[in-house]
Amino acid sequence: MVKCAIGHEREAAICLLQKFVDKGGELLIKSAIALDHLKGYIYLEAEKEAHVKEACKGLRNIYSMQVRIVPIKEMTDVLSVESKTVDLAPDSWVRMKTGIYKGDLAKVVYVDNVHQRVTVKLIPRVDLQAISNKLEGINVGKKKAFIPPPRLVKIEEARDLHIRVEGKRDRDTGEYMDVINGMHFKDGFLYKPVSTKSISIHSIQPTFDELEKFKTPGDEKDEDMSGLSTLFANRKKGHFMKGDAVIVVRGDLKNLKGWVEKVEEENVHIKTKIKDLPKTLALNEKELCKYFKPGDHVKVVSGVQEGATGMVVKVEGHVLIILSDTTKEDIRVFADNVVESSEVTSGITRIGDYELHDLVLLDNMSFGVIIRVESEGFQVLKGIPERPEVVLVKLREIKSKIERRVNAQDRNMNVVSTKDVVRVVEGPCKGKQGPVQHIHRGILFIYDRHHLEHAGYICVRARSCSVVGGSTGKDKNGANLLTTRSDGLRASPNILQSPRRVPRGPQMEFGGRNRGGKGQDSLVGRTIKIRLGPFKGYRGRVTEVKDQTVRVELDSQMKIVTVKRDEISDAAATGTPFRETPRYGLGSETPMHPSRTPMHPYMTPMRDPRATPIHDGMRTPMRDRAWNPYAPMSPPRDNWEDGNPASWGVSPRYQPETPAARPYEALTPGSGWANTPGGSYSDADTPRDSGSAYANAPSPYVPSTPGGQPMTPSSSYLPGTPGGQPMTPGNVGLDVMSPAIAGDGDGNWLMPDILVSVQRAGEESHIGVIKDVLMDGSCRVAIGSSSHGETVLALPAEVDVIPPKKNDKIKIMSGSLRGSTGKLIGVDGSDGIVKVDDTLDVKILDMVLLAKLAT
Amino acid sequence: MDGSVAQIPTSFGHELRACLRCRLVKAYYQFKESGCENCPFLEMAGDEEAVGSCTTANFSGIISIMDPGRSWAARWLRLGKFIPGVYTLAVSETLPDDYQVWEKKNKHFHTLNIHLIYD
Repeated sequence: MVKCAIGHEREAAICLLQKFVDKGGELLIKSAIALDHLKGYIYLEAEKEAHVKEACKGLRNIYSMQVRIVPIKEMTDVLSVESKTVDLAPDSWVRMKTGIYKGDLAKVVYVDNVHQRVTVKLIPRVDLQAISNKLEGINVGKKKAFIPPPRLVKIEEARDLHIRVEGKRDRDTGEYMDVINGMHFKDGFLYKPVSTKSISIHSIQPTFDELEKFKTPGDEKDEDMSGLSTLFANRKKGHFMKGDAVIVVRGDLKNLKGWVEKVEEENVHIKTKIKDLPKTLALNEKELCKYFKPGDHVKVVSGVQEGATGMVVKVEGHVLIILSDTTKEDIRVFADNVVESSEVTSGITRIGDYELHDLVLLDNMSFGVIIRVESEGFQVLKGIPERPEVVLVKLREIKSKIERRVNAQDRNMNVVSTKDVVRVVEGPCKGKQGPVQHIHRGILFIYDRHHLEHAGYICVRARSCSVVGGSTGKDKNGANLLTTRSDGLRASPNILQSPRRVPRGPQMEFGGRNRGGKGQDSLVGRTIKIRLGPFKGYRGRVTEVKDQTVRVELDSQMKIVTVKRDEISDAAATGTPFRETPRYGLGSETPMHPSRTPMHPYMTPMRDPRATPIHDGMRTPMRDRAWNPYAPMSPPRDNWEDGNPASWGVSPRYQPETPAARPYEALTPGSGWANTPGGSYSDADTPRDSGSAYANAPSPYVPSTPGGQPMTPSSSYLPGTPGGQPMTPGNVGLDVMSPAIAGDGDGNWLMPDILVSVQRAGEESHIGVIKDVLMDGSCRVAIGSSSHGETVLALPAEVDVIPPKKNDKIKIMSGSLRGSTGKLIGVDGSDGIVKVDDTLDVKILDMVLLAKLAT
Repeated sequence: MDGSVAQIPTSFGHELRACLRCRLVKAYYQFKESGCENCPFLEMAGDEEAVGSCTTANFSGIISIMDPGRSWAARWLRLGKFIPGVYTLAVSETLPDDYQVWEKKNKHFHTLNIHLIYD
């Protein structure tokens, strides 16, 4: 091995041969080798080192000072250079590197190796109108930044625009071309001569979409094979694994099938069934392709469909058609991108916050259901009922998830809510039937298992459907006997109670309640206890029953949750109705007393099965008022008993509703409360209210000063309480449940060092760290999670605390431990289990009080 | 050795092409003018089309063989029976099928492009 001038390796080797010819037999070297990949060296083969030196003498390109001898072992390696260059053969796929076609897929149609040029076939990005303008001399003005979208050119269109189209036979390919403005077109494709340097040949992974566009009738077969050569060049290392079924696709052994026995570098040893062949055959991996049979269960390991699993239903050359496990749709993948696997994964089902089958808002006008998640985007079935329209959207194009629970009315004015089974009675999807998955703006997304398109989702107008099992005729009382609470309430405005309180046992008929025949079950209205799951231990009242699930209104939280039917058990004490149907006449205080006596059994914390927490929110201020507001609340039961019942009815402050009640009570404008001061209290004054007050009393964030003095942290939760009523612990507990209220806080719960997201009008939200809380409640937030970013001043309303996750460091924003830091070691429903740093105590605190600490 | 040596390439750049059968490397026009010394039956001389289809610019590494019969490298590369000249170590294409058939008929067929792993 001798050194030579870099870039002149070939020249040096050729010069040596020239010298040999010139000098006759004098030159004793046998060969000279210049490798393309070895810069600055050539190899000379000779019997003696002296011969090498002699040969190199006088050649200006060779520096013969250093001659190194190649060890015999390495000699074969020198010569076993396998050509690494991918042959730029016609029909291979390339991508453009420059110009307006940059990144576009192109197909090589002709290669001129001598001039290092290729002719490629492209989908033209041609604006015929612009050409026409130019030809007609209309000045288009400055150069347009806009690149026309790729689209096949129709010659007729060009003619229509009076662009001269010449017919010409191409010199290189000999094909007839249409020439427009110097550009060659055939079948709508642009044939463009480019330099080999302006295209990239390596790692071209044409997607199916791209290939489809290139497909012209008649050459489908070619397409398959041409893809092959490119495909092989782009294989990753470690492509084959022991046990893979393979087929030989090139060379003398073409179509031989076998199994991979061993893989070493590029060579794959395969074992075949054929007896006469040696045990294993060593083949280059380029000659092999994975082989699958219909019926194999496979997993896609690369490409757009990565992660999906499914069953091979058809094999077309090296393209497999797979029935995906997730979407039940056919997907086409290259055999190379697939491994055999018994795994059934859903593929990727979520990107960011969005998951498969989520209803998402795309822009103000459109929304849809995600029917497929691909590696870079989602396929969304848009909410257009007339025709199914699927769009491919990127993550950033999705505005938000739509999670509101809304109802719609079907053609028979029955109310449709999610999970109801409906049947499509008109339109293109007539006859389809399935449960409603999403409702938005009167449009239903129905999931029909038998519908094979769009992952089984059908988008229809609610009016085109009928609820299965719903009443068809318009009931006379229909207007009054609607299924939802809100309707029930609206229909009977003279009922003084909020309908929430109504549906208790035998009072079902009160409030005009009719559940539309569905979900009606002996269980409805019963008080149950949840035995399993995240709500284990909670009690609640069953509001609705579906086949396997029930919806339970929890006693202790303002929440309706769905639990499995077998996860509930009947609560031991199914309360008997303890009061008569409320009436206006009930307003006097006297009758209250009897009704209150039986309350006591229900007063143990959390025990009252029928307690609806909302009431508590309304009730508490009054109770407080009745008592000495500054009296310590710790034994609330005593207070209760001591309380002068008379005072309940008289305090005019009862009337305003506390904000806690609002989210639920919004449906009862001016109902009982406001209209019948005092009188209405009789029915408000139910044991459940007190019961839930008790329930809240033991919660750890009850401030020690129940009066809710402004300085106690809890006071911040009730900023909206009319009349500035001092609050009771119960109130705190409830308000905390409602984030809306917390958000309304005057901001003094914000503290430095916590992570927040700042959402300013017209801006995107930023993650930031509170640096400082100012007197007026606004705070200085350093944008960026590392607290080194730019600092902005944010109003409390613009700041949202980022809820911590398990194992996060947290800071307690309220309660006696305000300011303490700790670690969130667990989450149980809305409660967080916190290990406080200072004391190492483990506390159970409401999640709302916890903020993630900036690190 | 009879002293005959293949034409020596006159350039070192992109015009170089290798005969697909014997891997002899020459400039394009040299093939066009005098064909391939090892494979006269390909009748490349004067036939531009034949030159185009029987040679390639797609090769890697060259070896100047002065003494094919006695050069270990030449024999390793199965170039031992050819005349001295510049050859390439590997080409990545094969002769067009119609030429191969023709070759077989004339019993000149050599499987030149067998990969080294078969050795």
